Amino acid sequence: MTSGDLGFSKPEPLLRVSALSVDYDAAGGEVVHALRNLDLEIADGQSVGVLGESGSGKSSLSLALMRLLPRNARTVSGRVDYRGRSISEFSPAQLREMRAGEVALISQEPALALNPVLPLGRQIADVLLAHRKFTRQEASLRCTEMLRQIGFTDPERIIRAYPHELSGGQRQRVAIAQALVCSPKLLIADEPLSALDAATQAEILDLLHRLKRDLGLAMLFITHNAGALAALADSIVVMRQGEVVARGTVDKLRASPDEYVQGILFPEKSLANVAHKSSAIDSVPLLEVRGLSKRFIQKRMLSRKKFVVQSLEDVNLMLPAGSTVAVLGRSGSGKSTLARCIAGFETPDSGEILLQGKPILANKKSNGSARRPVQMIFQDAATSLNPRFTARQIVAEPLEIARWKSEAERTARAMKLIAEVGLDPDWALRPAGEFSGGQRQRLALARALAAEPRLLIMDEALSGLDMPLQAQMVRLLMELQARHGLTYLYISHDLNFISIFAQEVVVMDAGRIVEQTTSARLGQSIHPATRELVEASERLHAPGVEVAL
Amino acid sequence: MIRYLARRAGHGLLMLFGVSILLFLLFQAAPGDFLSEIKVNSQISPETIAKLRLQYGLDQPLPVRYWQWVKSSAKGEFGYSFAYNTPASTLLWPRARNTLLLSVPALLISWLIAVPLGVLAAGWKGRWADRLFSGGTSALLALPDVLIALLALLIALKSGIFPVGGMTSVNVQDQGTGAWLRDLVWHMVLPVAALVIGSLALIMRHVRASVREVMESSYMRAAEGHGLPRMKLLFGYALPAAANPLISLFGLSVAVLLSVSLLIEVVMSWPGMGPLLLEAILARDLFLVIGAVMLSTVFLIVGNLLGDVLLYAFDPRIRRQT
Repeated sequence: MTSGDLGFSKPEPLLRVSALSVDYDAAGGEVVHALRNLDLEIADGQSVGVLGESGSGKSSLSLALMRLLPRNARTVSGRVDYRGRSISEFSPAQLREMRAGEVALISQEPALALNPVLPLGRQIADVLLAHRKFTRQEASLRCTEMLRQIGFTDPERIIRAYPHELSGGQRQRVAIAQALVCSPKLLIADEPLSALDAATQAEILDLLHRLKRDLGLAMLFITHNAGALAALADSIVVMRQGEVVARGTVDKLRASPDEYVQGILFPEKSLANVAHKSSAIDSVPLLEVRGLSKRFIQKRMLSRKKFVVQSLEDVNLMLPAGSTVAVLGRSGSGKSTLARCIAGFETPDSGEILLQGKPILANKKSNGSARRPVQMIFQDAATSLNPRFTARQIVAEPLEIARWKSEAERTARAMKLIAEVGLDPDWALRPAGEFSGGQRQRLALARALAAEPRLLIMDEALSGLDMPLQAQMVRLLMELQARHGLTYLYISHDLNFISIFAQEVVVMDAGRIVEQTTSARLGQSIHPATRELVEASERLHAPGVEVAL
Repeated sequence: MIRYLARRAGHGLLMLFGVSILLFLLFQAAPGDFLSEIKVNSQISPETIAKLRLQYGLDQPLPVRYWQWVKSSAKGEFGYSFAYNTPASTLLWPRARNTLLLSVPALLISWLIAVPLGVLAAGWKGRWADRLFSGGTSALLALPDVLIALLALLIALKSGIFPVGGMTSVNVQDQGTGAWLRDLVWHMVLPVAALVIGSLALIMRHVRASVREVMESSYMRAAEGHGLPRMKLLFGYALPAAANPLISLFGLSVAVLLSVSLLIEVVMSWPGMGPLLLEAILARDLFLVIGAVMLSTVFLIVGNLLGDVLLYAFDPRIRRQT
């Protein structure tokens, strides 16, 4: 506590946000209230969690604290004080000194937080040199030390590497090293886990936990995943539409009667009444995969060297009609390649894929109807939907390509599908770019359903969504499955809602299926790849807030 | 690196081959040839013309003529100028050197001015300085190159400080190398300035746009959040990340500069490729035109090759791909 020498009777907190309101000027003269009358205090060494679904203003808060809000944002009222001084009165030099010197920010997407064309060592050293009087050599020494502290065993290699040469988890570690290299007092972590797979999420969470303890770091941890906060945060602030709706310790919040708080703390509760209502599962297999192998060969021009990347090796899989089979594994385990082979985007090197006993290629031929038996939904709906198409155009497009019936009938069917996935039909004429992430994923679902598929492949289709939104999507998917007798192949890197959603679970590692089990028995598995997933899930979802098992 | 460059150079050779074939075809398609003008002259008998036609090889079919030209190019002659009665190369080389004398300094000066200004303008977004920049570059873009050249001539004429056109003063050769060099540089000032003004605005606008785009990216916001000084952000972080499209533009700017240069040379009577090419086209001096265009293509390819080398040096992602 350094506030004693400032002469205050009550110790001044490290950071105090009082009655902060921030508006955004959106396109068309609209004003969006990102933050409303927000109060927050962080003392030295304290960690505060901010919990909220997307659009609740969490990220605006982190930017406001760093005075990094974009130009179209206005601070309407309130103030942010750092050690008793309003940051809006900071001179540019003081502001620079504060950023990373006193308060550091790590953000959601580690891939996008690092400059792609500069070596990582330089990017870390530059932060140090901007704040401390070091020679290049001293700075480089300090960087190596920092990287080692963050858990790299080969910091010399990392220093020379470029962002694209590292994995997502490694990049997030480097971003953390960069943020902490000047020993700031407060770390603002804005969704630092969202872009990583579950096992990596758990590792980063452990790291942050250790750093907080070892460095006495105060932390503001912003997330939509309540589980991650339980172990890390001393107190939690729950936000909704820019406002604080509840605050307190995890235990206090668990007892809260507020529906929103309950929904975000226990997203699986909303699924209780739909669970296992799905239609009876046939014993007849809808899809059979036999001995599937796929290698990617990278060959250079004018060179005989070949790089073989074995992506799938001898994969066997059976999907009973009407069931949900989950394929789990870390990034790079071959799950997506499997999905792409079944969907027909990749041609396997060997093996067969049978749909209802016939090779899947024979099924692909259209016979005048708009029906396509296999449909796929991707992780990122933002990039898989043309942002300028209206919602109705997007859903009607597959029908149009198949020249299904008349224009009017296509429109009517598109409207029906839009309503079926829970979107407001009044929005049908809005361009897809105006929809939120969760809404876009619903739109992608409606488009997939337009083709009346038997099998729906979801390649990490929920990973980009908040926990409460994931719960809503799972609920919707289960209702649709019961109504249309759909079969799901659900690909994921985490275990969220697996026990409710899937009957069978397949775990992949390095291109092979290493375990096939039921979702109920997943917790008792002894295979290391499965254990890793289960343990990661346990660490991310503290007892009582668990989502999956 | 070597292999990467070799592949790029190979592409360049293929392109030269394609351009030469296209040129021959275009010339074949165009009406008339070098002898058409002479035919009108009643003092020259049809027999003489037929003999000339035979002598120049214009009676041969196109593929044969092309093959003759390729053979001659392999010897370094690049065909034969009908009008000057010498191998095309003896005309082309000195002219090409003179054109390079204008365009290389102009290229360097334009980029040396455009990059810092463009980056700064990107940093000033929305402020009066940025508006001034946008207005200024728009005005420059709207100026026709001929007008710039004519204005330069006018300045030379009115002020009397700079020579009005040409490349050397009379008798300067007798006064020693130092005087000759000074005279040459003095003659270069106005045409180079006209070239720089003609190509500057385009480059500046591209630099500003590329850097501006990078400034919006999340890693720039992250870097800002790490308290890096403003100039370091702009020149140390945004510029390298924005360099990729700019380097491609570098190759393209060589082409723009060369085409503007032809015009400015004609207007300011600089003995470069411009006046030669114009004359050769008007006279339908087949091989001279082809030679001049091929040389311009070579410059263009070299410019792009230089761009590739720079790209390789600047972008670690490209280094890994190759």
